[in-house]
Amino acid sequence: MSSEDERIELLQGTLDLIVLRALSTMGPLHAYALATRLAQVSDHPLSLNQGTLYPALVRLEQKGWIEGAWQKTENNRDAKFYSITQSGEQELARQTERWRRLAGLVDKLLLES
Amino acid sequence: MAPVRRFLLRLLSFFRSGRAEAELAREIHAHLQLLEDDFLAQGMSPAEARSAARRAFGGVEQVKEHQRDARSFRWLDCWWLDCKLGARMLVKYPGLTLVGGVGMAVAIAIGAVFAATAATVDAKLPMEEPESIVAIEVWDTAVNDQERRILHDFVTWREELRSVETLGAYRSGRRNLIVPGGPAELVEVAEMTASGFQMTRVPPLLGRPLVEADERKEAPPVIVIGYGMWRTHFASDPKVVGREVRLGNAVHTVVGVMPEGFAFPMYHRMWTPFRADPLSYERRQGPGIFVFGRLAPGFTLEDAQAELTAFGQRMAAASPQTHERLRPRAMAYTYQLFDDMEGWEVAAAQILVLLLLVVVCANVAILVYARTVTRLGEITVRNTLGASRHRIVGQLFMEALVLAVVAAAVGLAIADLALMKLDSILRGATGGLMPYWIHLGLSFETVAYALGLAILAAVIVGVVPGLQATGRRLQLRLNELGGSTSLRLGRTWNALIVIQVAFSVALLPAALSMAWQSVWYGVAKPGFAAEEFLTFYLTMEREAPPSAQAETYRREYTARFGHLQAELMRRLEAEPGVSGVTYAYTLPGDERTVWIEIEGVTPPTEAEAQAESPSGYGVRAGSGAGHEVRFGKVGEDFFDVIGVPILAGRRFYSGDLKAGENAVIVNRILVQSFFGGRGAGDVIGRRIRYVGRGGDAGPEDVELGRWYEIVGVVENLPANPIEPGLAEAKLYHPAAPGQLLPVCLAVRVRGAAPETLAGRLREITTSLDSTLRLHEISALDEVYRETRRGLYMGALALAIVTLSVVLLSSAGIYALMSFTVSQRRREIGIRTALGADAGQLLRSIFSRAAGQLAIGVLVGLAAAAAVEKLTRGGLMNGNGVVLLPAVAALMTAVGLLASVGAARRGLRVQPTEALREQ
Repeated sequence: MSSEDERIELLQGTLDLIVLRALSTMGPLHAYALATRLAQVSDHPLSLNQGTLYPALVRLEQKGWIEGAWQKTENNRDAKFYSITQSGEQELARQTERWRRLAGLVDKLLLES
Repeated sequence: MAPVRRFLLRLLSFFRSGRAEAELAREIHAHLQLLEDDFLAQGMSPAEARSAARRAFGGVEQVKEHQRDARSFRWLDCWWLDCKLGARMLVKYPGLTLVGGVGMAVAIAIGAVFAATAATVDAKLPMEEPESIVAIEVWDTAVNDQERRILHDFVTWREELRSVETLGAYRSGRRNLIVPGGPAELVEVAEMTASGFQMTRVPPLLGRPLVEADERKEAPPVIVIGYGMWRTHFASDPKVVGREVRLGNAVHTVVGVMPEGFAFPMYHRMWTPFRADPLSYERRQGPGIFVFGRLAPGFTLEDAQAELTAFGQRMAAASPQTHERLRPRAMAYTYQLFDDMEGWEVAAAQILVLLLLVVVCANVAILVYARTVTRLGEITVRNTLGASRHRIVGQLFMEALVLAVVAAAVGLAIADLALMKLDSILRGATGGLMPYWIHLGLSFETVAYALGLAILAAVIVGVVPGLQATGRRLQLRLNELGGSTSLRLGRTWNALIVIQVAFSVALLPAALSMAWQSVWYGVAKPGFAAEEFLTFYLTMEREAPPSAQAETYRREYTARFGHLQAELMRRLEAEPGVSGVTYAYTLPGDERTVWIEIEGVTPPTEAEAQAESPSGYGVRAGSGAGHEVRFGKVGEDFFDVIGVPILAGRRFYSGDLKAGENAVIVNRILVQSFFGGRGAGDVIGRRIRYVGRGGDAGPEDVELGRWYEIVGVVENLPANPIEPGLAEAKLYHPAAPGQLLPVCLAVRVRGAAPETLAGRLREITTSLDSTLRLHEISALDEVYRETRRGLYMGALALAIVTLSVVLLSSAGIYALMSFTVSQRRREIGIRTALGADAGQLLRSIFSRAAGQLAIGVLVGLAAAAAVEKLTRGGLMNGNGVVLLPAVAALMTAVGLLASVGAARRGLRVQPTEALREQ
């Protein structure tokens, strides 16, 4: 298998779900920390250009599910930290539920065949 | 909620992109720094860490692009960018902006005025299902006019027509209204059947509408008033129902008030029951009426027409004497105002307007094309960098659209102004009696139409040259950058310039001539102290008596009117400041058209007569084989009071008023024009007679064939001291009080503005007799000023259109020359290097423009001469011999001037530069 094939395809929407989930469990994160977290989770450090996050972030921010604020990192660098909002939490719950149902359905289908 | 919120934020982000961009840049910078810090911590050198950070992050510009896509609406960004670029282009090329903008603005203004005017034809009545309201008219093919005395037919239609229901009729007239405690006032009253109210389905604001019971002869007189009347004359009294007003001599009880905006059938504010009894009239006798109705459910206008046609045929067979030439017809209600206009005429006008716009735009397109060619380098680079042809043409379109929209805005402003003027002129001309559904002005539809025109203009101006410039393998042009281009101005555009020059040459003389005349009329003084006169028309309420009593009624009426007129004049003369009162059939200058023959002189043939004076009305009765003149009927002392000198012979005296007397007085220009250079004194005693009558004169006005004797010659009135040739030949008859109806009275007031007498005039008239009516009370010089205002407007519009055409033609020629020069840079360079002299070079540069100019001028001259011949010199007023060469010279000069700039640029081409560019 080539590394291309091994890449996790981040479908539109899945990225949103992952970001929301990361912010929900880890608290406020800046884009770099988020990207690192995604790389950890997916086990493939090269699976994603870190810049890819930005469209997702602005999309989620405009929808009111996350909000950003400038703060200092532990290295005393300026960074924009994103945190999940209340409506973001609700959306996360909705999307998680939907994802679970979908995954269950796919699982069932695969098992049957 | 979230999608809506996001949409709004994306929109907002479009307007605040600067802040978002700064924030994004800062965030990416921080991100890269954090990455770098991590790589440094892993032991990389700073340089390695920086590049590793970049790699891990991905392309910064790409990320930014993606973020922008998500953050805002990119197409909006592109669009905005193109708009800004377009606006910048407007400033960068001010000449093109001005010329193109003015041309398009004028074309769009004309289009908008046309659209707004045309919209009045299709205007809807403000009521339920307005499209089913129809008007029924009867056309008399014998005289090619309406027959309105159709009371009998109306009664039959009411009973028989199945396709039209709630059939109604009205007649309209001015009546003196006296509200207790107020002065008498002339108002337009509709005597309308109760079905009119039923049909409109507009309920009254107060009280009740008219009902059928009101139409009975013995029913008490009632009146329904309009909203405005209720506000102004009854102070919005909620208890107005039951109050009394006097119309003429009869007291009417107010029974209802109609709501605001209701003025059916035309412009009415008061309604009384329709009481004409068909039994007391013969067929085609009695009052003139207007008939309307609503199409019955399931029936169309064609059904109604079919039914009416069948009725017409039946009637023609049954009573051929009265009905043989009558053709009843049904039409949409609002169409009755335009019943002489065919649908195709509107369509043709529409096409003309569009053509004008296309011609204008094609010109601007040439200019834009010339500019686009100078920008080929930029376009080619953009194309090479990946901009699609679609994107480039889109940008050129947007640039043109910006110009077109600016032009449309200016055009709409001009149109708005013109429509406002037109509306006020029309309202003035109709004495405020404009059909109530017509409002000339910019409507939403007109604005939309103008914007449509702007888009069409932008397509022609932007897309066509854009496609042409980007069409042929653009990439190959990279090596041509900065040099001459292989683009050529197509044959079509060359032809267009020729057509344009021809068009200007053909149009200009007539336009100049008309503008010239308008200006002369405008500044001309009437030749007497018009500012001292108060003029007005006097009439008296008249009934339509049964046929049997008509003659007696007429005699009594005339005698009474004569007596009242004389009494009114006597009382006015007694007023302080009044130095004289006289009367005439019309205002000086409004006299009617006739054709005369002079005893002992062979009259001109009809064709000769037309060539002599082609501007008048057509011959309505008799023959046009005579001299066309105007005739007036005046009081005995008319010339004394007005202050017109008698040049020869005598004034009228009371003996001339007797029946059988044949005295007439002619004016100076008549003697000069038709008596072969004889002096005024030589024509006294000569006789003339009428041979024909114009469309503006009634059959009772002139007696054809009767000989009249010239007893005096007066100065022209109104005179035209600047251009005496413009005065009209006139002759005057004497008339006694009562003989003229309506009669125009002129009161000379000394030492005060004549308008100040108006109030007193109303009081005196009301106290004399409440059936006397005053119309068009005005200071005479104000009347003349009003007439001139219309002429000014016309001349101004014409001047603007003509100027635009000339401007565009010269711009087109300029573009053509610029093209020629830029195409021939290399050749010019080589020739200069080889020592060709400037004169030779100039000649060769000019030759092409000169050739096109010459062809254009020649074609234009031929067209103008043809038109001149067709209209028998009418368009240019016989000044063609002077005007045509002058215009040809002017256009040649303008064209050559337009070429000079380009030619000079050509001469400045340095040989080395021109060659290096290759």
